[in-house]
Amino acid sequence: MGAIFENLDKIINVSLIYATFRSATPIIFAALCAAITQQANILNVGTEGIMLVGAFTAVAVSYFTGSWVAGVAAAMLAGVLIAMIIGIGHIKYGADNCAIGMGVNMLALALTKFCLNVIFGMNGSFSSPDIQPIPRIKLEFLKDVPIIGEIFCNWSIMEWVVIVLIFALQYLFYKTVWGLRLRAVGQFPVAAKTAGINVNKIKYQAVAFAGMIGGLAGAHLSLGYSTQFVENMTSNRGFMGVAAMYFGGANPVLTTVGCLLFGFADSVGARLQAYGIPSQFVLMMPYIVTIAVLAISMAIKISTTKKRQSSLN
Amino acid sequence: MNNNSAKAGFLRIIVTMLLSLGIGALFIIGIGENPIDAYMALFKGAFKGKLRFGTTLAGFTPLLLSSVAFAVAAKAGAFNVGLEGQIFLGGIASAYIGINWTFLPKPVLLIVCFLGGALVGAAWGFIPAALKAYYNVSEVCSTILMNTVALYITSYLVSGPMSAGTANAQSHPVTVNLYQFMKPSSANVGIFIALALVLLVLFMLYKTTWGYKIRTVGTNPDHADYVGIDSKKVFIGSMMISGALCGIAGCIEVLGVHGYFLNNFAAGLGGNGMLASLIVKNNVAGAPFMAFFLSVLKAGAMGMQQSTGVPKALVDTITAVFIIIATMETLIQFKEKAKKKDKKEA
Repeated sequence: MGAIFENLDKIINVSLIYATFRSATPIIFAALCAAITQQANILNVGTEGIMLVGAFTAVAVSYFTGSWVAGVAAAMLAGVLIAMIIGIGHIKYGADNCAIGMGVNMLALALTKFCLNVIFGMNGSFSSPDIQPIPRIKLEFLKDVPIIGEIFCNWSIMEWVVIVLIFALQYLFYKTVWGLRLRAVGQFPVAAKTAGINVNKIKYQAVAFAGMIGGLAGAHLSLGYSTQFVENMTSNRGFMGVAAMYFGGANPVLTTVGCLLFGFADSVGARLQAYGIPSQFVLMMPYIVTIAVLAISMAIKISTTKKRQSSLN
Repeated sequence: MNNNSAKAGFLRIIVTMLLSLGIGALFIIGIGENPIDAYMALFKGAFKGKLRFGTTLAGFTPLLLSSVAFAVAAKAGAFNVGLEGQIFLGGIASAYIGINWTFLPKPVLLIVCFLGGALVGAAWGFIPAALKAYYNVSEVCSTILMNTVALYITSYLVSGPMSAGTANAQSHPVTVNLYQFMKPSSANVGIFIALALVLLVLFMLYKTTWGYKIRTVGTNPDHADYVGIDSKKVFIGSMMISGALCGIAGCIEVLGVHGYFLNNFAAGLGGNGMLASLIVKNNVAGAPFMAFFLSVLKAGAMGMQQSTGVPKALVDTITAVFIIIATMETLIQFKEKAKKKDKKEA
């Protein structure tokens, strides 16, 4: 333990800021995917599965076409297809969100494993120099600026995309007609219907949109965050995203704050590993932090609503 | 009427089963293999010979418990995805007791192993249940994340303090074992313990006040509170029963199948138990049959992969399709109505 305090400056320093953001990015994508459907009152338990299929498609298409753009586009399309299983199952055939979401997660896990066997003849993982990764943007002019240079000069394109996406969704949800309709459908579908909104159409649009973002999340994981496909490589990031979405009440900016907390736990943990903390403890840290943060935020939410209600009386 | 709806439910499951096997066949044709050969190989792989059938039974035991565990929690309205973590921790607890508490006479030690596993499993089920009941934290989220935590806890224990020092991360052998009756397979008397527990759970759910309370809370927690049932306590209680059943499943795996705690031994057990229960709409009496069907698929998958070119991941795909179709409540109902219409017209 002593070694940790002696090396505190090596654990907590400027590069931790980017490390936190880097490990939070896949979770932010996942959380945004969950937030979109949540606004329409559909709990997206299938985020994990959508991501996984996206990750596989991105690697496969990038490998065969040699173009990361095609890979990302295909991943988004695949995400929409998988999300539509949830959409059709839930909206048209009355499937329980959790049940069909878990079903989709299992399908994604099995299907990617199956395709990995059949297409690449591999078990467990697939990597190849022919996979074209998503390029990074090197901001040469920032390189020599202290602190800012270290934080911003070498981001993946997707890391810039996610920032744009957070604010775009914030605008979409709260400042556009479609966002208003989406929230109306989620909060009071009967009223929305009376107001002439096609409830199911909005729900399908939300699910398809979420599928796109989920596919993007997967593509980032397999072409940006790393350049390979590994079985079950999402390792519950989809669920962390759902947890973050709960934390932020499906508000994109607040949700992102939750994701950054998990990313922080992840990257601090990775650094602690060098100082004799068993790897298992390090690996479980983001999960424990996620649960703890979720519990605390929900507890606060409940007490504030109680207060609000009591002041009404 | 009740009989009719049971019949319709049964019919729906059969139709769903055939549908998913059909979709699986399409996949097999897609990779240029013969689906009939593949399914035959799968069937043989699960039943032919003492070893294979015994392996199927050994795989069935934990699935039986985890499927019923999921169903019990679901009866009170909980979606317990944390089965796997509860199995892991129940397993490690009974392994610890089985290795270290040798001062107890063997029969007592055996019982204490089961109790220890059940207790730890129940405790691991208590955490997400209490978070849900008092703070409204989604149990789907918390349980699935806690699975990973449980996996790392056990992985740390068997590669650190409890390690046997072998290349594989595993514990020392336990000093008590469950009798294996179909050697060389690992089928053991745990299966009878599991069956007895399932009957006990059925009795509890449908013949006792506790069971009535659980079912009331699951159907309508507000109503339950109104008539004086503490819905929060009942909710937590059912999750703890669920966890205890999983802990016992872990105990049977450790004492009956492996004889020691093997790192990551329960991978997939929780998920498949959940599947089995979801397919039959959390019907506690139906879950065991579905658990058996799934364990046949799982056990046969290896044989299929060996004797044909079909990878065993196909079986997971089939079961996933199975569950997706099964959850779409109105999909097959519509077909049944169409059938009834046909009958009337005829």
